[in-house]
Amino acid sequence: MHTSARGWTKRIWIYAVAFCLATGVLLSTDRDTVAGAVSGRIKVVATTSMIADAASAIGGERVEVTALMGPGIDPHTYRQTRSDIVALVKADVVFWNGLYLEAQLEEFLVDLGKRKRVFAVGEAVPPDQLISHKTYAGRFDPHVWMDPDRWRHVVNSVRDRLIAVSPDDEALFQANADAYLKRIAEIGVYARQALASVREGQRVLLTAHDAFNYFGKSYGYEVIGIQGISTESEAGLSRIRAIVEDIVARKISAVFVETSVADRNVRAVIEGAAARGHKVSIGGELFSDAMGKPGTYEGTYVGMIDHNVTTITRALGGSAPERGMAGLLTVSG
Amino acid sequence: MEGFLSALLLQSGYNAALVGIGAALLGIAAGGTGTFIFLRKRSLVSDAAAHATLPGICLAFMAMVAFGGDGRNLTGLMIGSAASAAVALVLVDWISRETRLPEDAAIGAVLSVFFGFGIVLMTVIQTMTSGRQAGLESFLLGSTAGMLFNEAVTIAIAGAVAGLLLLLLHRRMTLVAFDPEFAATTGVDVRSTDLATMGLVLVVTVIGLKVVGLVLIVAMLIIPAVAARFWTERVDRLVAIAAVIGGVSGYTGAAASAAYPNVPTGAIIVLISFGLFAVSLAFAPVRGVVASLYRHVRFQRQVHLRQGLLAVARGEPIFDGLTLKVLRFFGHIRADGVATLSGRAAAAKALRDEARWEVARETHQEDMSVARFDGLTAIEKVFTPDEIAELDRRIGDRIGVVA
Amino acid sequence: MRNALQGSIGIVARNGETALAADLSNLPLLIDGLTVSYGEKPAIFSIDASFAAGRMIAIVGPNGAGKSTLIKAALGIVPRLSGTVRVFGQPIEQVRGRMAYVPQRASVDWDFPARVVDVVMMGLYRTLGFLRFAGTKERSTALACLDRVGMADFAERQIGQLSGGQQQRVFLARALAQDADLYLLDEPLAGVDAATERTIMDVLKSLKTEGRTVICVHHDLSTVERYFDDVLLINVRKIAEGPVASTFTDRNLQKTYGGRLAGAHIEQLRLPVE
Repeated sequence: MHTSARGWTKRIWIYAVAFCLATGVLLSTDRDTVAGAVSGRIKVVATTSMIADAASAIGGERVEVTALMGPGIDPHTYRQTRSDIVALVKADVVFWNGLYLEAQLEEFLVDLGKRKRVFAVGEAVPPDQLISHKTYAGRFDPHVWMDPDRWRHVVNSVRDRLIAVSPDDEALFQANADAYLKRIAEIGVYARQALASVREGQRVLLTAHDAFNYFGKSYGYEVIGIQGISTESEAGLSRIRAIVEDIVARKISAVFVETSVADRNVRAVIEGAAARGHKVSIGGELFSDAMGKPGTYEGTYVGMIDHNVTTITRALGGSAPERGMAGLLTVSG
Repeated sequence: MEGFLSALLLQSGYNAALVGIGAALLGIAAGGTGTFIFLRKRSLVSDAAAHATLPGICLAFMAMVAFGGDGRNLTGLMIGSAASAAVALVLVDWISRETRLPEDAAIGAVLSVFFGFGIVLMTVIQTMTSGRQAGLESFLLGSTAGMLFNEAVTIAIAGAVAGLLLLLLHRRMTLVAFDPEFAATTGVDVRSTDLATMGLVLVVTVIGLKVVGLVLIVAMLIIPAVAARFWTERVDRLVAIAAVIGGVSGYTGAAASAAYPNVPTGAIIVLISFGLFAVSLAFAPVRGVVASLYRHVRFQRQVHLRQGLLAVARGEPIFDGLTLKVLRFFGHIRADGVATLSGRAAAAKALRDEARWEVARETHQEDMSVARFDGLTAIEKVFTPDEIAELDRRIGDRIGVVA
Repeated sequence: MRNALQGSIGIVARNGETALAADLSNLPLLIDGLTVSYGEKPAIFSIDASFAAGRMIAIVGPNGAGKSTLIKAALGIVPRLSGTVRVFGQPIEQVRGRMAYVPQRASVDWDFPARVVDVVMMGLYRTLGFLRFAGTKERSTALACLDRVGMADFAERQIGQLSGGQQQRVFLARALAQDADLYLLDEPLAGVDAATERTIMDVLKSLKTEGRTVICVHHDLSTVERYFDDVLLINVRKIAEGPVASTFTDRNLQKTYGGRLAGAHIEQLRLPVE
């Protein structure tokens, strides 16, 4: 059979392409999912930094934790990037909050959960301790980290899942978890004390969005969020007006902005109140859906709660040390 | 309802009043500017400009953060948005002029590339560890609820600047829109005028970002002008009406958003302006659909009346149902189809007028009012009595009768 | 053979013939080596032409000859590839106030929201500058121009409702409002009715009587001799220019139109028209 030169070139191209495709397919196969045990450090991917903090604390040297959402990032609107997907696929275990916090990732994570170890640890909180969503029946408020007592359940869940991944490390994980839970208990006590020092009539927490319901329920505070539970909904003018009237009528003196949400609505409320002759100031910036910068005290769960509690207490006229529970808070100049 | 009314009267509180005035000013500026790009047949360029603001906003944010500042500084973000929109407009202009791509293809290409780039940048910003990027996506659909005093002031100043530019340049822009070649021969710099118009579009777009967002600002530039077109045939009135429609949409949209919960301001403003457009389309007396229908029906009636009368005069039978109906309506024929006395008189006049028109068409070939020689205009409206007498005389000459 | 220069002041014949012109520098329009191209093909190539004051000149040639391009280049609204244009001895930009342009009707969207009087007033915009508003003086000037073209009754009419001839008259009225010394018209008689043609030619003749210069791209060969004093024949290049009697010849027409005009047809054109 006589094959021309052109025919040969074509064949070589086809073989080359086929070869590349085959190699690509082989190389991209994730070998780790096949076997059960994990060698080396456990790759943990967490969505929120709060969960990542728990995973790091419990796992210690045995884990390599990546948080998808850093400081100032809004989990309600966060969309996964290509590198996120790569990390998630390569992970040994994935922790996310669930309860529809990561609204844009939900579908992807549920799907991923069919093939890999993916756990919505926020749902470890017992249902009777969850607050129902005001607007959507059957849904819950996802901001469970705001109450250290409820967050305990989540930490336990992370611990249990890590043990399931690497049973050999059970003792280590248990010990780390105990230490971590102890510190959470401490901050819980501190919070209760400090927040109780605020006068009854002043216990109103007005923030950019409705992230503090668990906080409010646990410590007896009234919580008003300008935007709803999710930042996806726009706050209408009538809502702003209603809040302004509320503030003026009840003489609320301090409102709070959040690091992961725009502060424009809060400032609009302040201007609205000022136009009615009532002065409101910004009591401080709270960590609502994200923690502080990694590497700082506020970049840890305990530090986040510490900062929030201290800021709120001091702004509303209660007494709390300026530098928080253990004198570790950075004070803004 | 009372809530809406009180909002309209600026009685719903400071925030609502601020948004109402800000949105009204934006609507006025957008309506006026939009008129000229509509006349210039470049309305869609505003869409390209609006979508192209996104990468500029993101780049400005990233730059400000890189230099250690507050990424959300509004002035910086506005400058960034204006800069990238300007680049996009220059690019559209260049592509239309230098390549064989038609302008709408150029607009589509630039719009999507810039917007896509902006979305990519937003994803990058999302993962920046410096934080505080919350709120950038509010530029997409606007967020009026939280309008601040300094933002309203910015809108007012920008609106005033736009108004001043419109005042100074309206003649040039009209001329360039109508006949750019003629404009060039009178010494008007067509390119600069177009650039100035685009600059106005930029200003309106940038101030509209926070009020209605970049996705919807194009509606505020296009709809008022198009709606106004139904009401007038003069440019100065067109600009005024468009400005009013834009302002009213902005103001009432803000009031509606203040009165009713869960009503996003930007969308309701656009919906109201579309409602005004629909009303204009239907009911405007000059070019509206209802008016056109009415004129058509009336014209049809006139034609049938005339033809019917001529048929009566010539003794021809009438079969057309509408003709019979019209003749009956005016009392020219009885129910059984026989002509009444007034009908016969009218028919005779119609016949005579027809003869008059024929003579007039011959003798007045060069007279410009020949254009109205459609036979349906009463001859008394076109010619003076002595002219009609002259026509009668000529008819008499032809048929040998002294009139 | 009549002398090509006889009876015309200021016509310059190149190609080696002696120039007998009066003051060249004040010619209403002087074109030297003008080349304009769209893309790679030249629309007009190396055209030399001069136009004397107080004359009616026709620019004649087949389709695609570049007649409109020549006019637009003379007005400076298309870019020149090479060559110069001098209007009254100066560059175009400096004498725009003395030039008026009547474009083809098709160049405009007649659905534009404007009344007849609005369009005519556009001829006066240049005098208004940025700040002044158009007032009664401008309006009466516009109405006077409309009256000259017989359109005074139509002042308030929307331009989309006009017939072709009426639209042409409005354009002419706009040019009249500019009160120029040099008028350039692009096919002003194309597709107009007989009455309009008469009116337009009367107006143009009156302009000539006032000492102004009128240059028309003209489409109808059979009326060139009747209406115009001089003619410029072009087909991308200049074929001939000069007084109609000596320039509008069989030979020149053959050269201009190539084989497109049958011999007999040209004979018809040359016959005296009553």
